Amino acid sequence: MITVKDGWAVQSFGYRRYLPLGRPECLAENLDRWGIDEIIVLSIDRTRRHAGPDFALVRRLGGLGLLTPVAYGGGIRSASDAGKVIEAGAERVCLDALLRRDRGEVSAVAALVGSQAVIGVLPLSAQAGRLFWHDYLSRADDELSAGDLSPFTDGIVSEALIIDRIHEGGPHPFDESLVDGFPTGVPLIAFGGLHDPEQIGRVFAHERVVACAVGNPFSYREHAVQHLRRALPASEIRDPQFRMD
Amino acid sequence: MKITVGIVDYGIGNQSSVQHVLGSVGFRCRISDDPGVLDGCDLLVLPGVGAFRPAMEALRARALDRYLGDWAANGRPLMGICLGMQLLANVSYENGVEPGLSLIPGEVRSMGTGRWHIGWNTIECATDDPLFAPSDGQTFFFNHSYVYDGPPEFEVARAQVGGPVASAIRRGAIVGMQFHPEKSQTAGRALLQRLVTGLCGA
Repeated sequence: MITVKDGWAVQSFGYRRYLPLGRPECLAENLDRWGIDEIIVLSIDRTRRHAGPDFALVRRLGGLGLLTPVAYGGGIRSASDAGKVIEAGAERVCLDALLRRDRGEVSAVAALVGSQAVIGVLPLSAQAGRLFWHDYLSRADDELSAGDLSPFTDGIVSEALIIDRIHEGGPHPFDESLVDGFPTGVPLIAFGGLHDPEQIGRVFAHERVVACAVGNPFSYREHAVQHLRRALPASEIRDPQFRMD
Repeated sequence: MKITVGIVDYGIGNQSSVQHVLGSVGFRCRISDDPGVLDGCDLLVLPGVGAFRPAMEALRARALDRYLGDWAANGRPLMGICLGMQLLANVSYENGVEPGLSLIPGEVRSMGTGRWHIGWNTIECATDDPLFAPSDGQTFFFNHSYVYDGPPEFEVARAQVGGPVASAIRRGAIVGMQFHPEKSQTAGRALLQRLVTGLCGA
């Protein structure tokens, strides 16, 4: 996971504080070389700034000749935006604000690029056994309802990227109750506070979880990807294919 | 002499990834929708991401459907990737009924509502096709919800998604891959290099 703010890759601390890491392209090149399965790039300030998707960034990523699939999210307002993001070089798009604000357009995105190329982003927290969906524009937390999940359960959006927004970038681990308490039938990508191999292995083993996304830990330790892969049960991951050039 | 690969530009999908990976293994690439440019290529790649109908409409709008039909009829090599593979079939039932290029007999059907094939998966060779055989058991990146359904004689590789689905098809010099070799790291790059070289008879 590469979190981008103001055009720079950043280390995020619960989406409240940020530390610059460098150019997103440099991080993407490293992840590509290390044989990661997929690179997710989230430009977290595009919707708030009404700036639309960062097409220039996606084009730069597309121009790198990465051999790893890229999913891009941030500022996507319409099917047209999503189509241009794919043309610019991403394989999948991540929708966040659009999921809350325009379900019709979410369907239009899926009709254009295919549901399999659409990931829905859900920043969540768990309180008293209930799940709350954070709206980072209004900063409100609303209890997640069955209606909220209809784009997923109706097959319009293929996977949910659930972000533990409380523990993202913090010292505490991913809250597994987000996965345990999530309604059935939606494939999940878990993110936020996932750094302990033992926990990642446990989350991976959950039948609803199709992927675990890791952000900050890959930026601060040499060979972090390789170390993590070695620590995970072989049955949960494919053999890595490191680039030798 | 260097092989020149033409990447068919019909406004659907991401051509630059294919261009980069082919360039990285030594092929010259041209991205174009101009028959004059494509004619000068040794092999054409038909990429594609998204839905079947808008892709066919885009091909027809540029008269590329007829062009590709003529290209294939002359026995020249053509390679479809992901949606580009599905376009090679006779018809798709994605959002209605839409005729395809009819270059490899078969139909494109949904995997079922809410069913997708996303991520890395192993391919199993169904024949002893020498171009695909070295990739048997290797993992490739898939991202699709519709599948090719045609005569088994054209299936050269399958993937298991609950049951077997066609992951690569071939009819002579026409090849389709449901996965994205250009996004499948070393395995994809090696397969593309072998396919282009082999199909061009080099």
